[in-house]
Order: sequence, then C-alpha cells, then structure tokens
Amino acid sequence: MSARFVTGKVLGSLATLFFVICFNFFLFRVVEGDPVASLFRGRNLTVAQREQLTKQFGLDGSTGEQFLHYLQQTAHLNLGRSYSTNQPVAKEIADKAGPTIALVGISTLLSTVFGVLIGVVAAWRRRTKADYAATTFTMATYSMPDFWLGMLLLSLFAVTLGWFPVGGIEDASSNGTGVGHVVDQAKHLFLPCLTLTLAYLGEYALVMRSSLLDTMREDYLVLARAKGMRDVVVRNRHAVPNALLPVVTLIAINFGFVLSGAIAVETIFSWPGLGLATYDALNGPDLPMLQGLFLVFSAAVIVCNLGADLLYAYLDPRVRAA
Amino acid sequence: MRRRGRLLAAALASAAAVVAIAVSAASGQEESGKPLTLTVALTQDLDSANPTVGVTVAAYEFWNLQYATLTDKAAKDFAPIPGLAASWTASPDKRTWTYKLRPNLKWSDGQPLTSEDVAYTINRARREEWLNYSQTVANVTATAPDPRTVVLKSSVNDPKLPVMDVYILPKHVWSKYDKDAIGKFDGVTKVGSGPYTLDRVQKGQFWTLDANPSYWKGKPRINRVVFRKFNNGDAMVAALRRGQVDAVENVPSTAFLQLQKQKGDITTLQGQQGGFDEFAMNGGAGLKRPHPALLDRRVRIAIAHAIDKKTIVNRVLRGLGTPADTISPSANSAWMPKLAPNQRYDFNLNEAKQILDQAGYKDTNGDGIREMPGGGRPLRLRYAIRSESPDSAPTAEFITGWLKDIGIATTEKTYSDSQLTEVIGKGDYDLFVWGWTPFVDPDPMMSYFTCDQVSQDPKNPTNYYNDANWCDKTYSADYKLQNKELDPAKRKAIVQRMLTRFYESATYVPLYYSADLQAYRNDRYTGWIRQPAETGPVLFSNSSPSYANLRPIPAASSSGGGGGGGGSGTIIAIGIAAVAVLGGIALWMMRRSSAEDRE
Repeated sequence: MSARFVTGKVLGSLATLFFVICFNFFLFRVVEGDPVASLFRGRNLTVAQREQLTKQFGLDGSTGEQFLHYLQQTAHLNLGRSYSTNQPVAKEIADKAGPTIALVGISTLLSTVFGVLIGVVAAWRRRTKADYAATTFTMATYSMPDFWLGMLLLSLFAVTLGWFPVGGIEDASSNGTGVGHVVDQAKHLFLPCLTLTLAYLGEYALVMRSSLLDTMREDYLVLARAKGMRDVVVRNRHAVPNALLPVVTLIAINFGFVLSGAIAVETIFSWPGLGLATYDALNGPDLPMLQGLFLVFSAAVIVCNLGADLLYAYLDPRVRAA
Repeated sequence: MRRRGRLLAAALASAAAVVAIAVSAASGQEESGKPLTLTVALTQDLDSANPTVGVTVAAYEFWNLQYATLTDKAAKDFAPIPGLAASWTASPDKRTWTYKLRPNLKWSDGQPLTSEDVAYTINRARREEWLNYSQTVANVTATAPDPRTVVLKSSVNDPKLPVMDVYILPKHVWSKYDKDAIGKFDGVTKVGSGPYTLDRVQKGQFWTLDANPSYWKGKPRINRVVFRKFNNGDAMVAALRRGQVDAVENVPSTAFLQLQKQKGDITTLQGQQGGFDEFAMNGGAGLKRPHPALLDRRVRIAIAHAIDKKTIVNRVLRGLGTPADTISPSANSAWMPKLAPNQRYDFNLNEAKQILDQAGYKDTNGDGIREMPGGGRPLRLRYAIRSESPDSAPTAEFITGWLKDIGIATTEKTYSDSQLTEVIGKGDYDLFVWGWTPFVDPDPMMSYFTCDQVSQDPKNPTNYYNDANWCDKTYSADYKLQNKELDPAKRKAIVQRMLTRFYESATYVPLYYSADLQAYRNDRYTGWIRQPAETGPVLFSNSSPSYANLRPIPAASSSGGGGGGGGSGTIIAIGIAAVAVLGGIALWMMRRSSAEDRE
C-alpha cells in the first residue's frame, strides 16, 4: 500500500470530520427556539436568572459568535456542559460509552461469528433443508425491526416468564464488586444483547452465503478439487477466505455504528449507554449533549470507514491499484 | 481432524458447564441478606442531586428525602407544621419571624445542625439567586443569635411567611464550593437531615438512599429506598406486576386502566396537585396582534362554549383527568373559586353560534366560514399543536371540529415546545393547548398573567410568562394586593376574584386538571399518605410524607432491592450452554460435509 494512498484516505477522513463538526452545530439550530424558556417553563425565574442561564448555556451571543466559540471549544476537545445535568459533556459521554461498547461490541462479535458460520453452512449445503432453514431464519431476523424484537423478548422472558430483569444494567442491591456483580450485569445484558445479536446476525449470514455462492463458481475451486483436495480444505482454505472479503468490509463499517447503533434497544431495555443518552438528550433538547454525541458517532463511523478502506486495500491488491 | 473437532466440542461443553455452575452459584448467593427496601420506579432521571441546580420532579423527590426544611407542610392541606423548627413567633408587623429549632438536631454524619446552617443557606441563596430558592428567600435576611434560634426579617409584607420550605444545606459541606463551583457541583453527598440520605447514584439507572439514624422524627422503618429509572413505561409496570418494584410513578394511561381493572395486590390512584391544561387564545397585548376577531371577548366566549371538556377528558385522556373550571393556581384546590352557573361557559354549540351571530360574525359568502362583521376577513385561526405532547394532536382534532361546527376555520401547525415558547413570546399565534403545574403558594401562577409578564422585548421575547398575552389592569392591581395581604382569608378572596376575572375574559379556557397516575403494591408496605388528602398522589407530592410513614406488612418480603430476575442464573447458564451447542452444531454441520467427502 503506497504512502500516497494512505495519506489521501486519511486527509479525506479529516475533511469529512471537519464538515461533520460544522454541520453538527447548525443541524441542531435549524429549528428555532429558546431552550432556557422551554426547560424552565413555569419555574418563576427572574429575568436576571434567565439571562444568567442563557449565558451559562452559551446562548447569549449571535449565531456566528456561538459557532466560533463552539469551534474553539471542540478544538480543545471541550464539548461544553450538558443543559440538563450541568456536567461536562465529554465526561457524560465517557461514562456512557462503556455500557454501549460492552453491549454492541459483544452482540456484534456474536452476530458476526454466528452469522458467518450460518452463512457458510447455508451456502456449502445449498438447496438442502439446512440451507432453507438457515435462510428462512436469517431472513426473518434480518427483516424484523430491532425495537419490536426487543419488545417481544422483553415481554416473553422478562415479563411473562420473569427469567431476566426488565431493564437497567445492574441491580440496585448489587454491591458493585466481585463475581456477583459480573453475574448481575450479565443477567441485565442478556436480553438486549440477544436482541441485537439476532437483529444483526441475519445480515452477516445472508451476505456470507451469497458471497460464498459466488466464490463457489470460481475455476480455482474446481482446480483445487481436481487436485484431490478434500472438500473441507477446499472450503476452508480457498473458498471461505475469498468469500469473506465483503463480510470483512461490512463488519468494519458496522463497527462504526457500534456506538450509535443501539438507540432503540438501549431505550427499550433502559440500558444506560450512548443510545439512551441520545434519546434523553433529544427530549430536552440538550443541545451540547446532542452535538457531542453526534460528533462521537460520526467520528466513529469515519474512523471505521477509513479502517475498512485500508483493510480492503490490504486484503485485495486490485483496490489500491485502481 | 476428527480428533480435533471432538476436542473442540468437549472444550466448549466443559466451558459451558463451568460457567453455568459459576453463574448458578453466584446468583444463589445474591438472594439472601437484603435490607428492607422500598423500590420506586419512574421514567425520569435525577438530573442533579444539587438543589441549587436540578429541576426535575425526580430531583425534588430526592431532596425531600435528603434535606429537611425549617417548616414542613401538612399532608392533609399543606398548612405549615413544624419541621426543623419546633415553633415560631411573629413580630406585630409580621415582617420578623423567630423560629426555635428542635433540640439536638444532627446531620447524618453526626455533626450538629444549628441555626448557623439555616441562616447560611437562606442568606447565600438570596445573594446568589439560587434557582429553586429565590422566590422564597428573595426578600428575607436570616440571622442566628444562638444555635437554636433563627430570626428571619422580610423587607416586604410576605404572605408566604412563616412557611420557609427551602432545603437547609449543611454549611460544613457546601461552604467548600464558591459561587462558581456550586453550580457545577453534582450535589452527590451523603450528608443530609431528612428521613433518608443518599447512598449511591448510578446516572440514568438508579439512586439509592439509606434511612438516616439522625432524622429528627427517628430512623424510618424501611431501611432503604431505591429509585429505578425506566425508559419504557410498560416495562416499568411489568416490574410492578412481577414484584420487582413496589411503586410506580407516571404510569402510561393504557397500563393504568388495565391495572385499575385488575385490583388485587396493586392499588392505583390518580393524584392531583393542581396541574392543568388550558386552551389559550392570544389576548393581543403582546408583540404581535392575533386575528382581529380574538380581540373581541364575545368571540372568545363563543369559542369557550364550543369546547366540550368532558369529551376531551373521556376520549383523549380516557377518563384520567377532571374537566376544569378556572385555572388552578395552587396544589391546594382550596384557592379556587366556585363559579356560579351563569358565569360558566359550558359546552353549547347553539349558544356559541348565537353569540357570533349577534356580534355580527356571519358567513356572508356561504363557504361555511364566518367573516368579520360587515364581511371581509374570514375567521381562520392559527392553531399550534405541540409535537412533544401525545395528547395535543387528538385534542386539536376535537377542538378544530367543534370550531368548524360554529363556522370558525383553523390552520394547524406543529411545534416543538422550544419553538412554541419562542412563537408565543413573539405573540405570533392565535390558539394553542398547553399546561402548567402550580406551586403550593398561588403567587407565582397568579403573577404569570399580569401585564408585567406580557412580552414587550423583541430581543428577548421568551423572558416572560404571560402566554395568553392578556393584560388586564384590574387583575394586575389585584395581584399586587394579594402579594402583600397578610390576612389569609382576605388574600384568598382576592385570589379568587382574580381567577374569576381571568376566567371571564375567556382568554384561557381551562380544559382539565391532569392526574399523576401512580400505582403501588399493597401487599408489602402500609402507611401510604396522599398529599393533599383524598385527591393527591402518594409519592412525588409536595413534601413526600409517605416514605417516613411506611411500615412493612407482617410476613411480606421486600422487592429485592431493585429488581433482579429471580432464578435467572440458571437461565443464563442454559443460555450459555445453548450458545455453545449452537456453535457446536454449526461446526458439526461444516465438518459433516468434509467427513462425507473423506469417506
């Protein structure tokens, strides 16, 4: 991979990031309104208190002044203070990133592994009962909205059967340490994680299946078999690695959505991550929090796209030659 | 290769078994030795534990438990009763009040709670204009002549005194934060003087409080209170049904109606604390004029007659509310006047049409819409719908239908609350439906509709509260009278006169008094107190008297401290085993083809 290729990709990503930073500011100000008046309606504030809050929220200057202030702050990695909690947005986001990374990270890993395995089995045993069963199952989970699937699982396993807690990340009686705490969190993680795993598994399985079917028509597989290689070796050494290429790209790009991908599921299961924070911030509206969250989400997608580009180029020399 | 596959399968199975055993064992240990816990579920987060900053109802509930006030409020009717102060006396002019604190008051950390803490809180709140304190302490200066005596001097006649219901803060904790730092302080401290003090806050999830052994009424019988935040109202109700929580606040109306039918071990209640929704018409005193017809009181009265409040309550709120008369200025309904039948604008479409006909608003061109007297501009009014209220659009459907019936057309536009605040401040509207929740003292709510609160500043149009843009000199003069009237009966008479006058202007058509929908398990704790008596909520009321009064019902068990899934360790183990089995099956299927190939 040439330095020029890498530099070009990195510069492109940085330009996109800068555009996103600017766009974020204006996106949440398209709709006119006064957050101070809205948040403090009926609080019987004096004019001086309102003006103090307006200043505290950084809404006292013109839009241009506010924009410049925002750029300066962001350049120093200061994302401002949340309107609702009055705490630094960066700290709020850092606190909530852990639960989201745990939830979406684990579910992405599970959906990837099982999705690829199901896809390989379905393709390799195409037009058998196993293929039909796998395809039907993955089509069903793929087409099911995650919030709906989440509600179904919640009502079945948490409400009707009572096997799992109905929401949250830990029991309030948990002492916050030891194996008991890990188990407690695992209990809370199970249903949201299952929802996301099932919701994303189908996509990986279907892409893997289709990619492997394409690869299976290649001449080099016929040649490999003609050379007397066993079927499993043909599949594992020649077919699957080549068929994995689009799946790898899909995984790399999807990882960018790890941080933002679970708004609905986190809300349903009251999982205190970035998705739930977004939902709450929209209800405010808590502009600094929304700006910060969207910046983090966008940056994650941009970085992962860059990673996917570079990885694809590394795996497939035709891309970097083009 | 076959040998390797078998090894892999064996390893997976062993791992699953080990995890399953560990999980079952660990979760078994969790079930024992829990303190007596009350778990309350709600959909709102504790925005800040700092009473100088936070604004949510959840935060007020927390402060009510953590910090005592100088005077408390009776559960029955909000009358001032002893709090930290055991008694008080007034000077002849009722501007100086001397409070005697209870003996041996202590903070939860064992430090003495003295008049120094009280004076420090009140004076600092006044100087620094703390958000939740300023309306109570704005004109008050406190001194502490001895550790048990607090003297409050008001620079004006203040009918709110002797009530001093601000949260008294421990000076030895809060004095570490200067004016700038106090606003940024998250307020997470275990030092308090109320029945419960903070143990732990997990933002967005739960906050737990432990019974305060130093509480002046004695340590509460319930050891621990847990507030659990849910984002999903139905999941919250499910947790109540399963016994994972003991009480829920803000129950979704559909679930509430189902719970109501079931009865049994769950009690439901509609708590009223004066919250109301109103249909507002632009009174025309603001920065922009509304449709000229709205400046004619006869048109506003006709519109008021065209609104069927009962239907809105029954169809939109599913019966969970009460049709309103005047606006409610206080959590205490005793402030509201009783309207005579001839004063009321009851639903009557024929009367509405008749009023419009007599006033000269007739449909001259036969298109079904009336025009201004003498023809000309049709009566087409702008109706603002709130996107953030699920009831706003259905209410608008009914109201616009009735308006159409009496020959008034509407153009609907939807706004976020933030947008609508701006639109109202600029006076750029005709009609909208919104609501208010009053304090206990009627003064703030009465102040919102004075001429001083009509927006006249185009640069800061949202710095004012009068969203009716209605300015009436008599009402405003009466406001100043009640604001300094120290005789409670006379003050009440003035307030009722003002409310009647506002009602008669027909600028605001109060639609309904809204209900706080709550439910609690009646098989665990007894001693729930409604505030105010009979009509109020049991939790999230003005001074939250239930918590310190609750006691367990013999032989009942607690909720388990916030709702874990009973016996779920085994299920997780089964889940893990299932994952391992699934993985094994997939591997086996992959290997089967190769086995066939080899054979």
